[in-house]
Amino acid sequence: MGVRMAERDELHAAVVEGDWKAAVAATRNALAAGMAPIVLVNRSLVPAMDEVGRLFDCEEYFVPEMLLSARAMKASMDILRPLLAATGAEPAGRVVIGTVKGDLHDIGKNLVAAMLEGGGFEVIDLGADVAPERFVEAVAARNANLVALSALLTVTMPSMKTTIDALSAAGLRQKVKVMVGGAPVTQQYANAIGADGYGESAGAAVALARKLVAA
Amino acid sequence: MHVTCVAALRDYYGLPAHPVKVHEPGQMLGLVEDDLRRAMGIDVIGVFPRKTKFGFPNTGWKEWNFRGLNVLVPADFRTATRPDGDILIYPQGDETAEPSGRMPVGSAFFDAIIRQPEIDEEKLDPADNLEEFGALSEEDLDHIERSARAACVSGWAVAAGFGGTGLGDVALVPGTSLKKPKGIRDVAEWYISTRTRRGYIHAVFERQCEIGIQNLARIHARIGDAVDCVYLCGTDFGTQNSAFCSVPTFRELWLPFYQRLTGWVHANTTWKCFKHSCGSVERFFESFIEAGFDIINPVQCSAAGMEPAALKSKYGRRLVFWGGGVDTQKTLPFGTPQEVREEVLRRCEIFAPGGGFVFNAIHNLQAGTPVENIVAMLDAVQEFNGGAHG
Repeated sequence: MGVRMAERDELHAAVVEGDWKAAVAATRNALAAGMAPIVLVNRSLVPAMDEVGRLFDCEEYFVPEMLLSARAMKASMDILRPLLAATGAEPAGRVVIGTVKGDLHDIGKNLVAAMLEGGGFEVIDLGADVAPERFVEAVAARNANLVALSALLTVTMPSMKTTIDALSAAGLRQKVKVMVGGAPVTQQYANAIGADGYGESAGAAVALARKLVAA
Repeated sequence: MHVTCVAALRDYYGLPAHPVKVHEPGQMLGLVEDDLRRAMGIDVIGVFPRKTKFGFPNTGWKEWNFRGLNVLVPADFRTATRPDGDILIYPQGDETAEPSGRMPVGSAFFDAIIRQPEIDEEKLDPADNLEEFGALSEEDLDHIERSARAACVSGWAVAAGFGGTGLGDVALVPGTSLKKPKGIRDVAEWYISTRTRRGYIHAVFERQCEIGIQNLARIHARIGDAVDCVYLCGTDFGTQNSAFCSVPTFRELWLPFYQRLTGWVHANTTWKCFKHSCGSVERFFESFIEAGFDIINPVQCSAAGMEPAALKSKYGRRLVFWGGGVDTQKTLPFGTPQEVREEVLRRCEIFAPGGGFVFNAIHNLQAGTPVENIVAMLDAVQEFNGGAHG
């Protein structure tokens, strides 16, 4: 157990410190020592990304540090993901995420995606400038229970509503919760377009996602 | 101001109908001509660089249909429309090069296409991130001199942006003017580099400062004090609720270089130094002042910690607020004219007393902003000033 604890701490520390090479090494070492992939996710990656979110919220971390931690977490997940799939481990939820149609800004969306993945969710990232029908297709094909929409521009915010409408038209709206975020987006706007939640920051998005899938 | 807003205002004020010039194609900014400037009651005129963000000169105007609106674009504004309707734009107007900007359907701006060559840490050379920051040509200087002299005799205050001194501005990092950008061109990678490759960033800023000051000196030799203020840097340090870096990082990475730039300006000219930074940046204001900036824009009061009265009371004697006039994320595009009026009057009451305030919306007026709201904004400023425009 002592060995396992040390290895778990190594991965946790590598992610919090944003060192992707150390994260890869720690993941490989832990797997070689017999740790189950799902245990690494739940005991190392999830707490590590929670800690990164906390450091961001209390302004010890900023965008560069978040990007580095996200990179380290993803490097670890690239190793763990196929192993998790093979074991049939159930994620905390399945989220389809993307920046809405017309909007190419993806740094904020990428951070939220990383935080969600680090939070134990299976993330289906459709990228930027995503048409409503692509969200609909992905929700149906991947049996998602959460949709996360991002927009940075006032001119593309209406695409959030168009996407929600498309989910309704496809008969999927009751099946998924929809959360929205991005610089010009507010709780008021989220309410107005019929979203289920608004995330003010990447850390808040994870807490919101957990709440929505538990509801 | 977005070209669609300029066109709508020309129409609203009954000015002669003609296609509006898009003088900055990235954000699709429309040129405000003197007749519209008078109608709107604007007191400032701009001096812009010879070339656009996509590396072609603002000359040889031709018509272009921008989704139903006839506008004028420079001769080398060359685009291709993809089958899905997205519009691609080419650097330096060279259609044989990889496009460097893209306007998706549903957008109204050209965003940079990230063209990031594979990064080999051993071979990273700061010179690669400096290709676009060379010495101004005689043609560039002629253009600036002509524009500045014309602006100077207009009677309006002159705000100039000469380019070249934006340190790490992520709008410029992708190198949209270049046919084959080298170095660090991916925006996320650049942010990461501010943490992991500080020596590289220092070297880029160091050289950019040297070139920038040489250019400023050559410009000043041509135009003297014909301009009132100079837009030195548009690097955003704030996000909606936080910042892109800590204050200590700002002070290590940017402050010394800003001091060099503003130090030269203050020692050699009468120009005031203008700093743009969106977002929650109150935490940087003391450092901005120490960096030698006189003017802060756009004063995003909707961001965390940017409460107008507190800003005015704490910094009003040491910084000019060029902005903060009305919110462009919510009130102006989505509010009612009455809400716009009330917000504008409130902001003027806070920022104007004692001077040090240039009314400006918080950032560019975005596409899709109702013209009635823009007019309500302008009328409210007029109402506050207690008289007619101008």
